[in-house]
Amino acid sequence: MFGGRAVVRLLVGFLIGLAAWFLFRDAYERAVAPAAEFVIRLGERPAVTRLEAPGREFLVNRTDFPPGAPQPGLPAPDLHFNFVLLIALFALDPHPWRGERVVRLLLALVCLYLVHVVFLVFQVQSVYATSLGAWSAAHYGYVARNFWATGFHFYQIAGRFAAPFAIWWLFGRADLATAPETPRGPRRRKKRRT
Amino acid sequence: MKPGSSPEASGARRRSLGFLARFVIFLVAFYLVVASHPVNDAVIVPFTGWIARTSGKVLNVLGESVTVTGTEIQAIGFGVNIENGCNGVETALLLAAAVLAFPARWRQRLIGFFLGFLAIQAVNIVRVVSLVWIGRHRPALFDSSHTVIWQSAVVLFGVLIFLLWASRQTRREPAPPQEKAGP
Repeated sequence: MFGGRAVVRLLVGFLIGLAAWFLFRDAYERAVAPAAEFVIRLGERPAVTRLEAPGREFLVNRTDFPPGAPQPGLPAPDLHFNFVLLIALFALDPHPWRGERVVRLLLALVCLYLVHVVFLVFQVQSVYATSLGAWSAAHYGYVARNFWATGFHFYQIAGRFAAPFAIWWLFGRADLATAPETPRGPRRRKKRRT
Repeated sequence: MKPGSSPEASGARRRSLGFLARFVIFLVAFYLVVASHPVNDAVIVPFTGWIARTSGKVLNVLGESVTVTGTEIQAIGFGVNIENGCNGVETALLLAAAVLAFPARWRQRLIGFFLGFLAIQAVNIVRVVSLVWIGRHRPALFDSSHTVIWQSAVVLFGVLIFLLWASRQTRREPAPPQEKAGP
């Protein structure tokens, strides 16, 4: 599976992923924001959170913020640049354009989209729980603060890199560990010096 | 019988899912260790400082004239602070979790992780040096280079190391006993 060609495919996939990411990132952010907003509002009584994606950041707005209060802005590329990793890993396949492979890539992209939605929810809740001073302390207890902040920190440190790898392993990996064993001839014995 | 439902295929799928489950468990465990304050303060921050000093030496050799304080590199008109997520530790965690989750001999795992860790850190120092250079001479490109290009490149390098190592283990190891066992 691995050799010079695989490395070249990985590089080509990386460049294609990079180009696609630069082209579609703003549109993608506009697709992630409403889904995360929907999930956050499910847990709110009354539902007050609004997420906007004007480009390169997610703006958090709450209808109960005082008028003119600054909207927290969350850097968007940090959340979803791992799209590039997923595309590069799928390009490892010698025939990534074949029908079944394309379907698997689409499934993988849906999974990654869900990961982005979930961790945008974590990111917003982490801001609510830790960054709004007395309001945070009044509305989030010790366990809730740590849950949201740790969840988002995990994504920042390990999750955002591990997610594309795990999704690729599930959907796109050619059989690495499961490939049939290459039959080997009998081992040659080393000649011993006397 | 469909090819996908043969006993070999289901065994392979089970092993594959087993790998994934172990990978996630190890990754979370390593994250909890690395993110804990004592380990962060005693190991990660000094290690990040070492990366900053090494990168600073390379930059000075290249004529960039930088000073290093702790984890900060200060060039003329531009400075960076190397934080968690930029010190190569995150890619090393990924490699460690994957190497441990993959069926192999302990000696091979240790060798794979040790050599992989060294290679990742070498690439990461190239990354830090190039980012300081970009930040100073091409500041408009810094954000994209920092987040998307170099972070992806280092992680992909780590994954590539793992895949190369794993494909060597697959060739080395005989098939597991349950695969050989007939009805």
